[in-house]
Amino acid sequence: MSLIPFRTKRSTGMEGGALATLADFRNEMNRLFEGFFSRPTAFTPSWLEAGEPGQWMPAIDLSETDTQIRVRAELPGIDPKDVDVSVSGDRLVIAGEKKSCTEESGEGWSHCESHYGAFSRAIPLPESVDPAKVTARSDKGVLMVELTKSPSSTSRKVPVLCK
Amino acid sequence: MATITKTEDRAAAPARPETALTYQPNVDICDGGAEVLIIADIPGARTDGIDVSFEDGVLSLHAQVPARDLPGRCVRQEYGVGDYRRSFRLGDDFDASQITADYRLGVLTIHVPRRAAVRPRKVEVRAG
Repeated sequence: MSLIPFRTKRSTGMEGGALATLADFRNEMNRLFEGFFSRPTAFTPSWLEAGEPGQWMPAIDLSETDTQIRVRAELPGIDPKDVDVSVSGDRLVIAGEKKSCTEESGEGWSHCESHYGAFSRAIPLPESVDPAKVTARSDKGVLMVELTKSPSSTSRKVPVLCK
Repeated sequence: MATITKTEDRAAAPARPETALTYQPNVDICDGGAEVLIIADIPGARTDGIDVSFEDGVLSLHAQVPARDLPGRCVRQEYGVGDYRRSFRLGDDFDASQITADYRLGVLTIHVPRRAAVRPRKVEVRAG
């Protein structure tokens, strides 16, 4: 969702200065509102999204084809070994912990914008999936989970018989 | 006094094509005494598309993120795809020639060392 229709900087010929700064501000506002309206919050009904109050939750993308559901989650700085992915019925749960480097080094933050600590996000899936056919891989801080729809939920064409 | 301050994010026109949107990545700054770490979350960036540069006292980072490839129907989309860009003005206490950076697990870590003359050092007390 964008608040204002945008064009690329190249197409508008913006090159530095106040116009470019304004474009950055607009982009940030767009992203802020995208997150506000689309990401779960403490006010999101528990039946829709499950997570512990106060916990941060990673942003996700979810897409589906006729046979598969794909979920992409942004997990920067999180070792894949610290991520748990589980499936039950029509619900995918991604949980884990993002560890702060200051915990190991003992150094202090001068400025901190990232989220740290445990997280858990339960994502309702559009359809039931086969728990035996779930794969997850992580690349450059992005987790990709591929789920195969269970045969019972896979849509199929029903022939209409004529007498 | 050594300072790192955020600056307005705009440098010269990009030399190579970039996506329509640019975002400011979330950044942590950690002062370790001998060096300051700038830790930026830029998940999904192309490893060969990350630029860290220093010019006129300003440290800039730019990371390209390839377009998302999700087949099928998009049910939910919570994060946008676009390039990351952010800049910091460094104080005089830092040695720009020794700046290094590494990218791991979607996190860019920039090591900005202090000049040797201004690094905190422990003074040994000799017993008389």
